[in-house]
Amino acid sequence: MIRKIISGNEAVATAVKLARVGLTGIYPITPQTSIIEKLAEMKAQGEIQTEIVRVESEHSAMAATYGAALAGIRAFTATASQGLLYMHEMVWWVAGSRVPVVMVVGTRAVGAPWNIWNEHTDFTSERDSGWIMAFASNPQEALDLTIQAFRISEDERVFLPVMVGMDGFILSHTKTNVLIPDQEQIDDYLPPRRQPYVIDPEDPVEIGNMFPPEGYMKLRESIHLALKNSEDIIRQHGREYNKKVSPMIDYSTLNSSYRLEDADYAVVLMGAWAGDAMEAIDVLREKGIKIGMLRVRYLRPWSEKEIKENLEGKKGVLVVDRSTSFGRGGPLYIEVKSTIQDTEVKDIVTGLGGVTVGKNDMIYLFSKFVEGIKEDVTWYYPKEVGKLDIRTPRDIE
Amino acid sequence: MTLGLREILNKHNSLISGTAACPGCPENMAMRMLGMGLGKDTVVVVVAGCSSIIQGNAPYNSFNLPVVNIAFAAGSAAASGLARAYKQKGKDVNVVVWAGDGGTADIGFASLSGAAERNEDIIYVCVDNEAYMNSGGQRSGSTPLGAITSTTPEGKKENKKNLPFLMVSHNAPYVATASVGYPHDYIQKLKRAKEIDGFRYIHVLTPDPYGWLFDPSRTAEIAKLAVQTCYWPLFEYYNGKITVSQECLHCLDKRTRRPIKDFLSVQGRFKRVKEEDITKLEKYIDDMWEKIKELM
Ligand code: SF4
Repeated sequence: MIRKIISGNEAVATAVKLARVGLTGIYPITPQTSIIEKLAEMKAQGEIQTEIVRVESEHSAMAATYGAALAGIRAFTATASQGLLYMHEMVWWVAGSRVPVVMVVGTRAVGAPWNIWNEHTDFTSERDSGWIMAFASNPQEALDLTIQAFRISEDERVFLPVMVGMDGFILSHTKTNVLIPDQEQIDDYLPPRRQPYVIDPEDPVEIGNMFPPEGYMKLRESIHLALKNSEDIIRQHGREYNKKVSPMIDYSTLNSSYRLEDADYAVVLMGAWAGDAMEAIDVLREKGIKIGMLRVRYLRPWSEKEIKENLEGKKGVLVVDRSTSFGRGGPLYIEVKSTIQDTEVKDIVTGLGGVTVGKNDMIYLFSKFVEGIKEDVTWYYPKEVGKLDIRTPRDIE
Repeated sequence: MTLGLREILNKHNSLISGTAACPGCPENMAMRMLGMGLGKDTVVVVVAGCSSIIQGNAPYNSFNLPVVNIAFAAGSAAASGLARAYKQKGKDVNVVVWAGDGGTADIGFASLSGAAERNEDIIYVCVDNEAYMNSGGQRSGSTPLGAITSTTPEGKKENKKNLPFLMVSHNAPYVATASVGYPHDYIQKLKRAKEIDGFRYIHVLTPDPYGWLFDPSRTAEIAKLAVQTCYWPLFEYYNGKITVSQECLHCLDKRTRRPIKDFLSVQGRFKRVKEEDITKLEKYIDDMWEKIKELM
């Protein structure tokens, strides 16, 4: 294992190399672009064997990746924002085919209007597609989760595609220390590819043809069950990763908690700003406020068990969402609220389109929450943003 | 080389019983000939369209080859992934995209163009019935001028998009046109395509009794008429040159062409065609043959 200062995108490219991926479908979209550029560079230098298909759109990137996976080789792609929305159709197609595929999403706002900065809406809007969905909070996790994604996706009890989210720019472009496993460690951890079927003239099978209603519904249920049952399998592969590759980050649970055990109040969030939240929690703890954090690392499967164990019985739960389900609140909030019954759950939607929300904002938000905020869902703007006035169609009326 | 029918029929049977096609379906005919041309080591990527249905309901399939069914815009890209994966595994497989005119001329054009530009090692077969027949016969980019469709009840105002020429412009190593009315010609083109590396494009005219409005017993006959009246050329393009099949050598000279009316009059979809539209169609055909001659 060596330590290197690299960005999240480079960490992902490294994971793809270590996983000995057979084919990568590539199409550039900010902020994911440097993943595929790095892979192209590695290929040009002869450092990887991966076949690189430079397609003409994200839709085709997912389709080419899918084709390679069907033919029996390990396949990867990466995307973001409009690109993910453009490939949405194929995202569903892959899950419906129960074929192992791994994708990384460098999260970013979705237009209109154009906005290249970070938020999680692109990622969360795929939560019904049948993919397993992990979300990293630092470049190290981006690397680790991407490698684990191949292991999980190719587990015969799962056979579902896996996507790994990572905050655009905040992780994708920020360089930090990352421990890079040795190839031998990963070879030991990640067995050769397995998949439910291979499209090959030697053993002709068909995939995706017309299914009668009952068969179709059965297939849907099989995806549902495979996703639900993947919970323990993810823990199992996490523990194995800790044993065989690196014990640095605990992967024995789907979600990660911080000072939660004795906490009266809990904060739930996902992604890179968990770091700011942890610092804010330390400050509030010093003031005597017993607050802790649960960081969602897997949006799918959604571990009801872990969420309940960690949150039930708290005086209050505050969810901080970096994405929206318009007219309703944040997707994480909706999930948490439907999971725990006896606890009050509030939601803050913030940080959209790259609005910076840091430690001080977190301190402010968390203490407001402890004081008792009234609305179930609040849109929060850091001070200077709050003063901004834009004309919306409603104002013009 | 001309193949005897017996020799052809000994090849792989790519269409077995139980298809859900309409009687007289030209895509059925084209699929049957696919196996005769390419043999067993073939994987077909079926782009949404009639052929997605013709196979019949899962778990059964009347296409006797491995089939990947896929959404409209994804065919060429998925085939690219498959072809590269087989190459990586050291396997010699003909990867075929099987798409209708909608999936080719319209919604799937970007991925088709991308695959052609990358010179992917795949065979793209467009089965052109000149409208979106599977969704009830709406106009496509490949519908000819004057044809009535369910979205052009007054007759289409624009000319057919000329896909084979577009593929020639993409520098594809092999481009061919065929018609289900001439099986020998089509099968030989498939065989030729099989021998060539890189992107190969075969555009097959598949007259559809239900969209073109003629009796289902006449599919092959109408497919022949299209060629005889020079509406549909039969050519091969490779090594930078077009070779015209003998079935339509007479089209090279305008004076020996059979009148287009002979083709239009046997189909209900042209029943409202005006004289001026026929003139426009004739001009389209003249221009097409001029271009063919330039490339000969
Ligand atoms: S509509 Fe035409 S092409 Fe489609 S299945 Fe029927 S006959 Fe065949």
